[in-house]
Amino acid sequence: MRAVAISLKIPDNTAFTAAVALRRLGIGVERVERSEIWFFEEEGSALIERITADETIFNPNKHCVTLLDEAVPRSGEVWIEPLEPRHPDPSTSSGEGRRATAWRLFGPNEATLDRESLGAAVERLLCNPAIERAVY
Amino acid sequence: MVNLRDEELQRIAQQLGRDPSVVELHAFDAAWSEHCSYKSSRRFLKNLPTSGSRVLLGPGEDAGILHLGTHDGERYAVVVAHESHNHPSQVVPFEGAATGIGGIVRDVLCMGAEVVAVADPLRFGRCDDLASHQSHIARAAVDGIGAYGNAIGVPNLAGDVYFEHGFDENCLVNVVALGVVNEKDVIHSYVPKGAEGWQIVLVGKATDPSGFGGASFSSLTLDARDAELNKGAVQVPDPFLKNVLMRASYRVFALLRERRIAAAFKDLGAGGIVGCSAEMTAHGGYGAQIELSRVNVAVEGIAPEVIAVGETQERMMWVAPLEFVPDLLRIYNEEFSLPEVAYNARAVVIGEVTAQQRYVLQYRERVVMDVESEFLTGTINDELPYTEKIYHGVSAQELPAVDIEGIFPRVLAHRDVCSREPLYRRYDSVVRGRTVLPRGAADAGVLAPVPGSRLGVALAVAGNPRYGRIDPAYAAEQAVLEAMRRVVAVGAHPIGLTDCLNFGNPRKAEQYGEFVAAIEALARAATELDLPFVSGNVSLYNEAATGRAIPPSAIVACIGSIADIANVITPGFKAAGSALLWVGSRELVGGGSVLAELLGHKGTLPHIEYDAERAALAIVRDGIARGVMRSCRVVADGGMLTAVARLAFDALLAGRKLGAEIDFGNPLCEAGGFVCEIGGDSGMDVTGTLQIGTTIDTPELVVNGTRFDVERLYETWSQPLAQLYP
Amino acid sequence: MSARIAVPVFPGTNSEDETLRLLRDCGGNAELVHWSQASNLAHYDAYVLAGGFAYEDRIRAGAIAAHDRMMDSVIEAAGSGKLVFGICNGAQILLEAGLVPGTGSIRRPTAAFTRNAPAPHFVCRHVYLKLAIEPARCAITAALPEDAIVPAWAAHAEGRLAATPEHLREIVAGGHLAFTYAHSTGAVDQAAIPNGSALGCAGLVNRAGNVLAIMPHPERDAWNFNHLDRREGDDVLATSGGSVLFRSFVQALASS
Repeated sequence: MRAVAISLKIPDNTAFTAAVALRRLGIGVERVERSEIWFFEEEGSALIERITADETIFNPNKHCVTLLDEAVPRSGEVWIEPLEPRHPDPSTSSGEGRRATAWRLFGPNEATLDRESLGAAVERLLCNPAIERAVY
Repeated sequence: MVNLRDEELQRIAQQLGRDPSVVELHAFDAAWSEHCSYKSSRRFLKNLPTSGSRVLLGPGEDAGILHLGTHDGERYAVVVAHESHNHPSQVVPFEGAATGIGGIVRDVLCMGAEVVAVADPLRFGRCDDLASHQSHIARAAVDGIGAYGNAIGVPNLAGDVYFEHGFDENCLVNVVALGVVNEKDVIHSYVPKGAEGWQIVLVGKATDPSGFGGASFSSLTLDARDAELNKGAVQVPDPFLKNVLMRASYRVFALLRERRIAAAFKDLGAGGIVGCSAEMTAHGGYGAQIELSRVNVAVEGIAPEVIAVGETQERMMWVAPLEFVPDLLRIYNEEFSLPEVAYNARAVVIGEVTAQQRYVLQYRERVVMDVESEFLTGTINDELPYTEKIYHGVSAQELPAVDIEGIFPRVLAHRDVCSREPLYRRYDSVVRGRTVLPRGAADAGVLAPVPGSRLGVALAVAGNPRYGRIDPAYAAEQAVLEAMRRVVAVGAHPIGLTDCLNFGNPRKAEQYGEFVAAIEALARAATELDLPFVSGNVSLYNEAATGRAIPPSAIVACIGSIADIANVITPGFKAAGSALLWVGSRELVGGGSVLAELLGHKGTLPHIEYDAERAALAIVRDGIARGVMRSCRVVADGGMLTAVARLAFDALLAGRKLGAEIDFGNPLCEAGGFVCEIGGDSGMDVTGTLQIGTTIDTPELVVNGTRFDVERLYETWSQPLAQLYP
Repeated sequence: MSARIAVPVFPGTNSEDETLRLLRDCGGNAELVHWSQASNLAHYDAYVLAGGFAYEDRIRAGAIAAHDRMMDSVIEAAGSGKLVFGICNGAQILLEAGLVPGTGSIRRPTAAFTRNAPAPHFVCRHVYLKLAIEPARCAITAALPEDAIVPAWAAHAEGRLAATPEHLREIVAGGHLAFTYAHSTGAVDQAAIPNGSALGCAGLVNRAGNVLAIMPHPERDAWNFNHLDRREGDDVLATSGGSVLFRSFVQALASS
């Protein structure tokens, strides 16, 4: 299975607000990167075709794609996934599959946040354990 | 890359006596784009009637203003603006449509008004295949409109949608916004006399490279291969910031009132900082001096020409007297904490008004632009050739007799007729608690915009592409009539119009001819009905790379005033035994109708008779005045019987199981007019109307002897769009 | 001087004006408190958290607002027994703040009003709330009749109650399910629920009964002119419909 991170190449207002909110909680965040993580069975050119064929996943005018080497969060990153399986959405070909929202937190000098600070961010703000699980 | 043509470049060099700088080149590129300059439409647009006793402000500033009524001795006006965001919505539908709402809201806000409603006339490609590009655009654009309007808390009051192959490569996302203002508190888009030395304050989002080239982008034909190149024209919506900006601006308005200080306020739209500041100062007879390096930017190293004309969203400009500026900055930056709401958002002084009429830009203290203000902002014209369009009424065969039992359910399920609720229920139609008739409840939406007052305002839009395909001028004329009828059908008095003219390529004589003919038709209808156009917009080059243009689409909005919202006509049949009158034109012709399309029949277009139209309006208003008008709907897409069915559906939804018996030759004609439910012994003069039936106390429609169950018809009508908008 | 009600305005709130107007029309002594005046918030006797999109619901609906400085005062007030009433976004904030259902600890939510289902979209639809508790179980509903039906508008994309099965059981067992969705007749079925909410939940109350969170907006169907089925002769500017809940709130404040 291949994990793919789709992020905005246009300014991400939500990531900015998340960073401001985390700083107010005393967490040493300089910058936040947000992406949507999709999981696919395909590889190589089939994978690229799969991603670019569905406009709800990917629009080249606003998105950029990162193919992740492993299907696990990167350093300083947490994946937030809903506890319940998602309801089918007929408007996208990838309606029912696994999906996560990734938050990647950077401290001073573009260093990714250590695990302890990341854990604080997750527990205090990024994850509601009643409906979500955090993978990091 | 600039889109100025050689002769335009020569004109600039000649005027300046030198080659233009890079910044100047981009400034003129934006200022002289079709989008900003209306260079190929201005000479025709001036034929539209724009004045009248209700008009406080016609076209020319960010929005038009119409007198609404008086409450507690204060005179209130509605502010209205109408625009398109077609090209951006085709490229990035969610962001494009959302920024359409964002832009139109600023136009109304900048007149000093409280924004109270939006509307969204939409034209999408056919969405029969739910996974198609067209379906994606149709969904994403609607979600963008909803996401933006819902978050800023402005109810979506009106709108319409059509799905046509002619829009497969060019969707239309038109947007209308409505505001309310005490007439003595209107703020203008240009500085008043005595503004020398006033400061120019940029407010809002940090300027970024997004939206660079936007003005000329919206004036170019769309080519799929250029999508990637156009990414610079992708605009980023931020409704959160807008919500805060709106409320901060209301606070500024209040302080200006309190201190009795005048200032000018304008939206940054096409042409960015240059377009906005040049107009604000030049139209007051002044010049401006601006230092671009003072502009709050999102990333370091943005070129001065990008800062100067980039179209970053969520920005506005104040020009205010020196003594007010500290308060202005404090309200936005501290009280409403803009820098914490969006990255580097703030209010910042970037320049000042100068006495000599020159527009001067500096970047890091170096002059990068120095031109005569008038030359930059003055009118330019493009006298393009066009083919005169004369449409001859096609004398087609009359409609064949129809099998009403088989065809009526198909008409109700037709994509132009079926319920729009699956779409508009994604829009908040009731936020702010002032809604009288929410979106979709009736032919027009109605608000009580002034809390505590009985004043009401009605809003409706129209523009039928089935007519547009046959005859652009006729379609334009009908758009005025239908929008006006819709407002009348809820009990409002029509007071003004706005338009957005969505057409093809003006450099093709044939397509330009359609545009010219449509404006003439709009002018004719508005003049006949004595209704002014107070705001409008032109969107040309709606043409795919294949050369196929959209069905010519003059889209019209009508604003109605209501003296007492107690007299608004509520939806649906009220009682059994009422007379059903067809008021207005009832020609038995089918041209442009849904029925004709289903039958593959051409048909003749119904005649437009203004005497009959005025008489119909008088009858409807008389019925309301006498208190006998129990319900009313316009005859439009789907014909008279559809209007009757809608009145039965409205009653059903309100828990009243009523129906109607109808006796009329071909009840699916769309000739226009109204279906009115008239109660009791009305004593009305109903000359020229026809009683087509009676309401009955069972939920059935009995049409020339054929019985339909209202609940089953409702199922048929309400379901089709739920596929596209689950 | 009657008890003072604060309507806090967070960045992104959008229903403050009609909430304030209805409170006043129902006899409440209410005012808006802007986020720049957060420090004044402690001095009020009751709180109504209005609808909107505080911080645009970025991250999750209500999540960032639950940590706003203004919520420090509201949380303290709720703990001391003052009335706190949240509507729509206000309700989402109260859940994220852990005040309702209140089965966990502060700012450690045990439930959420989250993404609608099955269609994950915003829905604007007229609905009815049905009181699912004894009126006196919650101070704010105490003046309502048993099984009261309150008209309102649902207008949200994240209004579906969701929680783990264990937390849902606690909500039921603890009597936290204050309102369910219903038809105008009081009948309850799936068709009455606009968002797939667990338990058909439209509103939750805390253990002490002084904090109420409801998703739909009664303040948008609160004056006669808001009703499509108003009768001829009704004073269009008079309060009616959804205002009963606001009256009950104001009454509770007067008697406390």
